[in-house]
Amino acid sequence: MPSMDEVNPEETRIEITHELFDLWLKAYGATYGRLMEMPAMGPMRERFTKLMKESPTSVNYFVTMMESMMDFQSVLLQAMIKTQEKMTSKIESDMESDLEGKPTKETFRDFYKVWFETYSETFKEFLKSEEFASDLSTLLSRSIDFQKNNRAILEETFLKPNDLPTKSEIDELTKEIYTLKRKMNELTSNLNKLSRRG
Amino acid sequence: MVMELESLDDIRKFIRGMSLLLESSDIPIATTPAEVVYKEDNMILMHYVPAVRKPRPVPILIVYALVNRYYILDLQPDKSIVRKLLDAGFDVYIVDWGYPSGSDRYLTLHDYVEGYLENAVEKVRELSRIGKITLFGVCQGGTLCAMYASLHPEKVKNLVTVVTPINFDTDEGLLHLWARSLDVDKMVDYYGIIPGDLLNVAFLLTDPVRVLIDKYVGLFERLDCDNDDEKCRRMNEETVSDFLRMEKWIYDSPDQAGEAYRQFIKECYQENLLIKNQMKIGGKSINLKNITMPLLNVMAEHDHLVPNSASKPLSGAVGSKDIKTLVFPTGHIGIFVGSKSQNEVCPRIAEWLAPRSLLDGEKKRRNRTGKKPKSERRSIESGDKSRRKKT
Repeated sequence: MPSMDEVNPEETRIEITHELFDLWLKAYGATYGRLMEMPAMGPMRERFTKLMKESPTSVNYFVTMMESMMDFQSVLLQAMIKTQEKMTSKIESDMESDLEGKPTKETFRDFYKVWFETYSETFKEFLKSEEFASDLSTLLSRSIDFQKNNRAILEETFLKPNDLPTKSEIDELTKEIYTLKRKMNELTSNLNKLSRRG
Repeated sequence: MVMELESLDDIRKFIRGMSLLLESSDIPIATTPAEVVYKEDNMILMHYVPAVRKPRPVPILIVYALVNRYYILDLQPDKSIVRKLLDAGFDVYIVDWGYPSGSDRYLTLHDYVEGYLENAVEKVRELSRIGKITLFGVCQGGTLCAMYASLHPEKVKNLVTVVTPINFDTDEGLLHLWARSLDVDKMVDYYGIIPGDLLNVAFLLTDPVRVLIDKYVGLFERLDCDNDDEKCRRMNEETVSDFLRMEKWIYDSPDQAGEAYRQFIKECYQENLLIKNQMKIGGKSINLKNITMPLLNVMAEHDHLVPNSASKPLSGAVGSKDIKTLVFPTGHIGIFVGSKSQNEVCPRIAEWLAPRSLLDGEKKRRNRTGKKPKSERRSIESGDKSRRKKT
């Protein structure tokens, strides 16, 4: 962890959180990560090696998820601050009040309108950014790696030992059927053309 | 005191809405009568029962996108592009792409365009006893229609595209921005069939605050009257039913055949090959200049999903001489179901299509005499009798 002297007071909390996760990943890689990559031994060595090889995907996915959540929370916070500022200025400028100074019916509609518009604008700005597009793609990619890993574990530990079909086996069959169907359609079409000519 | 009354009013609206929702049953959708005239795997071709005794000779084949369901074009009787076209005297067919399953993961764009769409066009030509038809493509369906029309211009009399993306190199739409950094190979290799729920998340993210919160607040806000009053109750029930129909369509996203999805994202969204005439399907090059038939390119001014910069270039990319571009002040969905859709969009489309939906010989003869020849009237009538079936 960086010492207090090394911390830049200009850095936001979000950037510090990203640094924290970077450091965490490095620490993991130097400790548990090495354990996971250690060569396996014994009769179950093949299966164990296959499963352990993909274990970093869970860690990567967890870190990416946490970072994305932090980014989203940061945007929510920005939206809340902006909404508060806008509402305050609206109250001071043109809100109607009853004789006792309490807000009237229109006030709550305006509150909602200000809240909705501010949140909507703030989120749209965030969603348009290149950082979001890149983060979204990374999150999706890591999520798929994580799910692939889970599927591999399920296949190795349950499906194969119980002689049940795996996704890759089903995909092979599907591909075969598709190729045959396509060939059949081509042949039918050629036959029809020939019979029309004849 | 005023604040308390205001809160009570909101609570009453909420209770009103909840009681109507609890009483709601399954909402009928796509009620315009039609018959299934062709079926191939998940694809169904339907023919709507004509609303006039003698429909115009050139039939319309509507092709919707793969990513959503076709019935947005026939959501309810008073919000139906299909009904408007039928009432305008057109003979209307529609393609229902169905719900792809795991066995469809290897379907390519070639299978959709040169397979299913080609067979649908052939069937319409056969049933209408006509050489050329009008292709009416909506959203991604318009992109598929443009591909088809460039490969088979001899079978297409008119091409109508509605909010159709052709140029994908634009920063104006969020989907265009996000698709650029998508690892589509990883997605397709893992999923095989891209889950519709994943696409729903992407659509939600384009306007999350409105779609996840404001839309529902708006529903309860619109329930102004008290349910005790019969007329008001019916109005409230209609408001809730209309809302539930849209809600059903929005979240009814079919899964996507992986290989077709892969090619569409890579070659359209990421490499933008279509507008550059560098795209191939099944080994055949797609050259938009081969589109020489009349083109009507319809766009929505406030389209956040398919911005005008994605649709407009089609008008300049084709080889047609007869081109019309229409822009309406609606959003992407509003152009199908908003009030402007019924009062402006459909009438303008019908107005453009009407003179272009005559048989070639008939048009020449009408130009000379102003009347239809007797022989052609007889052939149209006999076609009508054989088609008049109800579901």
